Amino acid sequence: MDCKTASELLPLYFDGELDRVSSRELEAHLDGCADCRDVLVGLDTLRTRLRDEASRHAAPELLRARIRKDLAARAATAATPTATFRMPRARWLALAASWVIMFAAGSVFVPAWNQAGAAGDARDQVARDVFAGHWRALAANSPYDVVSTDQHTVKPWFEGKIAVAPAVQDFAAQGFALAGGRIDYVGSARVPVLVYRHGHHVIDVFVLSQNDAPPQGKRIESQGYVMETVMLGSQPAAIVSDMGDVELARFVQLLGSAR
Amino acid sequence: MSSIIDQGFIDDMALRHLDAAYNLGRWLLGNEHEATDAVHDAYLRAVRAATTYAGGNERAWWLAIVRNCCLARLATRNKTKRDIAIDDAPATAERWLPRSEADDVENRIDSAQRQSLVNRHLQELPLNFREVLILREIEELSYREIADVLEMPIGTVMSRLARGRALLQKALAEHATSQVPHGL
Ligand SMILES: [Zn+2]
Repeated sequence: MDCKTASELLPLYFDGELDRVSSRELEAHLDGCADCRDVLVGLDTLRTRLRDEASRHAAPELLRARIRKDLAARAATAATPTATFRMPRARWLALAASWVIMFAAGSVFVPAWNQAGAAGDARDQVARDVFAGHWRALAANSPYDVVSTDQHTVKPWFEGKIAVAPAVQDFAAQGFALAGGRIDYVGSARVPVLVYRHGHHVIDVFVLSQNDAPPQGKRIESQGYVMETVMLGSQPAAIVSDMGDVELARFVQLLGSAR
Repeated sequence: MSSIIDQGFIDDMALRHLDAAYNLGRWLLGNEHEATDAVHDAYLRAVRAATTYAGGNERAWWLAIVRNCCLARLATRNKTKRDIAIDDAPATAERWLPRSEADDVENRIDSAQRQSLVNRHLQELPLNFREVLILREIEELSYREIADVLEMPIGTVMSRLARGRALLQKALAEHATSQVPHGL
């Protein structure tokens, strides 16, 4: 690893956001490089100063009191059967719509997987991250970090940014044009995302590690978006978009048959 | 696909993360009065939006509402061009020190000065960088949570964090070199 790569990875390492393999490689570099160690010490010094010396303002009692008052008032209203918290449905919808931008970024509803237990929870989290990543990308100015309709540009772009660059193929002739790629997060892992366009639909293909991957053929719906898992060459991948079922099935087949 | 969450959940959540919410508001708006009002607004909005909260990271969801309320206030403030008092950093040496205790006076002046120095430089950073530093270094949110609060891609969070850290390091370093010990 050279100092340039190390300096890009250092903040991730420092913030506990770097995967284990890259962390080991970075540590090996740090063992032999005093300059990069200095950068790390600098980050740590700044953090220590911020945590020790910058003010973390505690909520004033006045604020807590106001909230408790609202809370009590609402509890009192709710107890009276004539004055419940109900609004006409349309009103709720309007309110929901007014917050849609925010929810696109943050909260996601994903139905539970069938599996119980920790493995199920972890996969739940994967689905949540994939939907959240997709929505965040849609809300951003551009859903990709590298714009290209050329598979020979997109693949090398990933190389050096992540451990395994995914297989990249364009399906413009079949109506699913490669539009670009980006790096997103699933859990704490940085994963490559291939972005395709089909008409006005944006399609994200999250290329996952074997461990993170939900079961093949699994289909999850959330707020009009669908996620489906396929094998992309030897790597599992999660497709997410708001396409219709027929189009999605075609795209799944295309991706699955690639190579 | 219904996801009705009972109101009690929002109340618990808001109260559980009230210090984080207030601290963010205080750093964004710069004074106690407005930060209190903004977080209160945010709470009322969160209650109304409860039915649309549907899982995911609750702290990020709540802080995103708080931040939006703060930004709305900042926008009005900029429009009306009112002068807003930025509260002084709480720890000026004079206020803290009982003057009689001569012994560790020097130490305490030093620590109080350092405190107000960091506060001042942090408050002077552009909002984009200030907020990401608060969320990461003080509230200890993950990149993903910060991206959710700020409604932006993680890549942008990372670059702002790097830039914010560099700016603050530079400001503090410049201060340290420009201020040759005088007096004390
Ligand atoms: Zn190095």
